[in-house]
Amino acid sequence: MADRPEVHSQASQRDPNARPRRDMKDVGHEDRFSDTSGVLFEQAMAQTRMAVCLSDPNLPDQPIVFANRAFRRLTGYDEHEILGRNCRFLQGPKTDRAEVSRVREAIENEDVVVVELLNYRKDGTEFWNALHLGPIYDAQGKLLYFFGSQWDVSDVRAAREEERHARAMARELSHRIKNMFSVISGIVNVMGRVRGVEDTTSEINSRIHALGRAYETTLDEASVGVIDLGPAVKAILEPYAVDERVKFLGNGAQVPFSAMSLIGLVLHELAANATRYGAWAEGYDGQVSVDWQRRDGNAVLTWIETGGAPISGAPAHSGTGATIMNRMVAAARGTIEREWKPEGLHAVLTVPIEGGNT
Amino acid sequence: MIDGCRILLLDDEPLILMDLEFAAEDRECRPLTATNVREALAHIEAQGSVSCAVLDVTLRDGETCMPVARELERREIPYILHSGDLNRQEGTLAALNARLIAKPACSSKVVDAALSLAEPAASRQAS
Repeated sequence: MADRPEVHSQASQRDPNARPRRDMKDVGHEDRFSDTSGVLFEQAMAQTRMAVCLSDPNLPDQPIVFANRAFRRLTGYDEHEILGRNCRFLQGPKTDRAEVSRVREAIENEDVVVVELLNYRKDGTEFWNALHLGPIYDAQGKLLYFFGSQWDVSDVRAAREEERHARAMARELSHRIKNMFSVISGIVNVMGRVRGVEDTTSEINSRIHALGRAYETTLDEASVGVIDLGPAVKAILEPYAVDERVKFLGNGAQVPFSAMSLIGLVLHELAANATRYGAWAEGYDGQVSVDWQRRDGNAVLTWIETGGAPISGAPAHSGTGATIMNRMVAAARGTIEREWKPEGLHAVLTVPIEGGNT
Repeated sequence: MIDGCRILLLDDEPLILMDLEFAAEDRECRPLTATNVREALAHIEAQGSVSCAVLDVTLRDGETCMPVARELERREIPYILHSGDLNRQEGTLAALNARLIAKPACSSKVVDAALSLAEPAASRQAS
């Protein structure tokens, strides 16, 4: 039988040398869907949820010669309202002309194109149509049809738009937060100068900065209310410029935003202390390893110093920093254990982050 | 105040600008403040002897510090970036091959970082 209606899309075959292919059979116009394969084709076309149409480029204005049930359901038109018309009847005032000309170019060049077009149903409502269009040839390489598949991607576009919007909002927010921390810090500095208490204000500011950096890492996760501990810990310790002298051991643990300020301030106190008296003190080549884990509903942060200035037991008086740290940890119903080992401070901070047992 | 070192400070937030200005004065150099690209370029043109600069990346009305950075580069004047907009300005930050200090940061550290890049002569005079 010469007229087996096997039709082949060139969708994935842009190479013009690839056609005509031997497996492409001539498709007669009159009985194109008449034999077994034709029946299968028709049934498949009838059942698929993908809207499909074929248009005939050999007729004036390239009319649609076939449209399946999904196409009719998607557009709201009956078959007799579709057949014989050019596809452009789905376009409307808000359809992007640039995208339409991409379609026209693809048709002229017998090319494959995928575009998203704003189309209109019979009742005038809009939908976003992901249109996939490509030429279909017969065995002799003669252009028979253009195959068009339509998919309503309105929901996908809305979700994409929403996501884009959310990300833009998160970034704007992140920028504003950091700027706000800078402004606060500016106010504190200026007041300090006016009152002549620069030392005090610079201490206040070092804490404000540590807090700011705790929230510095990306806010993409902001909507779920958690923050990745790893990047936050690294950001907090960044200004101590101790690249080679700090080891980060933690994994991808996350904590709620509410726990971050405490962790940020405790890390700041530990780092400041290490710089003054411990592993990072001038003249020593000590190391700090920082580990963070989620364990039994707690965030557990372990800070181990080695090779710094020698310590002989716990300091006689705990400084302001340590006092602040202790009170803050207590307020969060957490604990901080410090062990002054000869080789350096060994501190473990435990912050409850789950459950109501605070 | 020693006139040897002039530091251009660009930030659209007046309080941050003032903080940087104070920090620059503490280092006994002359701060030239700007809140937008136009003012910054005017400083570069007028004095012609900016020693170094601190540039905020994202400015008001959709401006970025890019034109200022390019002009400074053309004149071989060193600068650092001072930004809190790390996520959105990745492209700008990557295009400008300069040290970045993330906001919030200590104003004197920011100013010191810029001064350390200035001509050795200028920074000696300034210190």
